[in-house]
Amino acid sequence: MRYDCIIIGAGVAGLTAGIRCAKEGLHTAIISSGMSALHFSSGSIDLLGYRDNAVVYKPFEAIDQLTGTIAQHPYTKCGKPLIIEALLFFKQECEQQGLFLFDNGNLNHFHVTTLGTLKPTYFSQRSVFNEDVYSRFKAMKKIVIINFEGYRDFHPQLAAAQLSKHSLFANCEIVAKQIEMPQLQDDGKYPHEFRSIDIARIFEKEANIEKIADLIRLAAKDADFVVMPAVMGITNFNQIHNKLQSRTRLLVYEVPTLPPSILGMRIDNALKSRFAELGGVYIAGDKVVRADITDDVVNAIYTNSHPENPMEAQCYILSTGSFFSGGLVSEFDNMYEPIFKLKLHHEPERNKWYNQNFFHRDSHAFLQYGVLTDESLRPYDSNNNIIQNLYCSGAIMAHYNPIKEGCGSGVAISTGYKAAGQIINLLKRMS
Amino acid sequence: MIKLENISFDHCIKCTVCTIYCPVARVTHLYPGPKQSGPDTERLRIKNPELLDVSLKYCSNCKRCEIACPSDVKIADIIQTAKWRYSKKELRIRDFLLSRTDLMGTFGTLFSAIVNFFTHLGMVKYFLDVIFKIPSGRTFPNYASGTFTKWFKSVRKYQDNYADKVIYFHGCYVNYNYPQLGKDVVKVVNALGKGVIITKEKCCGVPLIANGYIKKAQSHGRHNIKVLSSALPDDKTKIVSASSSCTLALKHEYPNLLELDNSPIINNITYITQFILEEFEKGNILRLKPLSYTVAYHSPCHLERMGSAAFTIELLRKIPALTVKILHSECCGISGTYGFKNEYYGISQSVGNELFRIIDEAKPDFVVTDCETCKWQIEMNTKYKVIHPISLLAEAIE
Repeated sequence: MRYDCIIIGAGVAGLTAGIRCAKEGLHTAIISSGMSALHFSSGSIDLLGYRDNAVVYKPFEAIDQLTGTIAQHPYTKCGKPLIIEALLFFKQECEQQGLFLFDNGNLNHFHVTTLGTLKPTYFSQRSVFNEDVYSRFKAMKKIVIINFEGYRDFHPQLAAAQLSKHSLFANCEIVAKQIEMPQLQDDGKYPHEFRSIDIARIFEKEANIEKIADLIRLAAKDADFVVMPAVMGITNFNQIHNKLQSRTRLLVYEVPTLPPSILGMRIDNALKSRFAELGGVYIAGDKVVRADITDDVVNAIYTNSHPENPMEAQCYILSTGSFFSGGLVSEFDNMYEPIFKLKLHHEPERNKWYNQNFFHRDSHAFLQYGVLTDESLRPYDSNNNIIQNLYCSGAIMAHYNPIKEGCGSGVAISTGYKAAGQIINLLKRMS
Repeated sequence: MIKLENISFDHCIKCTVCTIYCPVARVTHLYPGPKQSGPDTERLRIKNPELLDVSLKYCSNCKRCEIACPSDVKIADIIQTAKWRYSKKELRIRDFLLSRTDLMGTFGTLFSAIVNFFTHLGMVKYFLDVIFKIPSGRTFPNYASGTFTKWFKSVRKYQDNYADKVIYFHGCYVNYNYPQLGKDVVKVVNALGKGVIITKEKCCGVPLIANGYIKKAQSHGRHNIKVLSSALPDDKTKIVSASSSCTLALKHEYPNLLELDNSPIINNITYITQFILEEFEKGNILRLKPLSYTVAYHSPCHLERMGSAAFTIELLRKIPALTVKILHSECCGISGTYGFKNEYYGISQSVGNELFRIIDEAKPDFVVTDCETCKWQIEMNTKYKVIHPISLLAEAIE
């Protein structure tokens, strides 16, 4: 089949690119093999959380500094004005689907992790503990962190103990509470078998909300603030949040849980629905396995399910992610990009890939490995030639460390947005 | 000894994404979900078959878990294999009858008027419910008064007028229940300037697999591979099917589940909408008249598993004046014979509820889908008629 643009990979980068292309009227397809890393994410969008192991409060100043010093960083290739444009675009497209993202002006804010630590981020969902809540919080005296009895992927005691250590919460009482949800035992299943998704489904049934709210109210009636695991539904979370707050007359907020991440799935859901709404073609559960390239131009790609039938486009975007998502493959003594066999930035010696100390401040070298691209995000093949109609975005790119710098989603959004922009301009010039 | 190629369960990282997208686990806690029934307990079953947890029988084999899996684990295949390898075999007349679509079809078409009359009688349904555990709420598809193959004999001679040929795997539904779809396929293929060949095919094996008759399914599979490959005049000739589940069986279930070598035909098997689109792209374009309907398109699970729903959507968009509303991808719940069994009927209906709701919301003139059992389920639970995309295309041909 022929498209204007085929995007390989449906994570944050691929979906951002897909939405932008489809919005410009390009005939766009996204091919996705399995669900993306959003299902394992915090559901907040990090822009730049750390520089030289220090917390970043003003991400755009830090980006200025970074683009001035690291020429190869994806942010340098995008440039600050484009990053700002991309973030605004992302926020607005999510809003189209009823997913509202909070930002703290140009500053980072902090969200509470499942272990009770504070982590800098740029966008958080409205129901997530954020700066706005925090500023209201100062006068408050008691936080109750609740969990649902038997649910094993969130540990309120741990979160409470860790949070109490933080200077911000020095004058605050933080208590962990369990509540029993009778709905959990309705059909004879033990609550310890529940994952976030099972509880989210209980929340999604309208009839349950009032009962749950009353239980929360009972457990936390003297609290100024209630924190619960992020299970307030995947699609109708706004209504659930509003209802919980009005019924309990408490401030109720969510913190991320262990995977599956309900917060991440909301973003996944919003972006995919937006893409479909704009007429994009989403092909799930198929894997691109090889490409046909002549004279540095990709003619067609082939998938697992259709090994003999070419899928053709004028331009392609590669957003297959890093090692975890299969965008990069490592073997005992080598690593490669499996579809186009692109040139990678990496050390050949295996013992240089990682740090002996798992939690070392310098992180691990392999997180910086990835595909090399030019300024327009076009990659190099193994002979060092630029592939003319292929653009890269997201975690497959080299020269940044999403963990150490806290910039994974920001890079995905910026490079996805930029890659789409390159294609839109190119196709406009051609027509 | 574990065969090395069968250890895809070892790639499971326990992320639970499959269970999130499992339509059965969504509506009932009787089913612990594909992760637990598949890769989690596979290692136990390999160690000791006694450790089988029978709750895996609730899997409807829709394969949405495999679409969702980020680690390429063949979850549904693991569960289907475990079902027949480790479950106690019980003789159930109902399962035998439900899975013998060709046997029942031969009988049903011979006495179609009587059979159709009786299967719609309340008393008969009650009897089937009590004795055979076939839910009385389920509407049965009607049998046709003559088979597709019989009709085809009357047009076979015209097929030789075309130099280029296509082999058509019609499947049991077209043959016994709805020959009109087969006639539409022949009309469309002929309009593309190609003749139709049909072979002495047997049921593809999907209902046999679902009911645990793996040996029988393997013998059908071997037969089909043999007749289809020997009918191929050359490598380039396509074998098309207009049933998403038949196509999935020929292409994927034969090698992955039934361990059959389908290499002589695998590259020729093409789902019909893909075949037509490829012809269009070669310049062999059908002239289509405008059809000013609004249709809601439902993509069947098995078509999605093959990554082929996009072909049907693309083809529908080629029909002038047709408004196509793409429904959010949801399982209809029937899953072939699954929804014809008392023990799963409630689950099957609950799974479908979301789809029925969004169909009602879309307010189409009718629904379009590629799968015959999805059609039964949707027609039974909504007020809309369900049409195959090829029938729509046949209507648009001038």
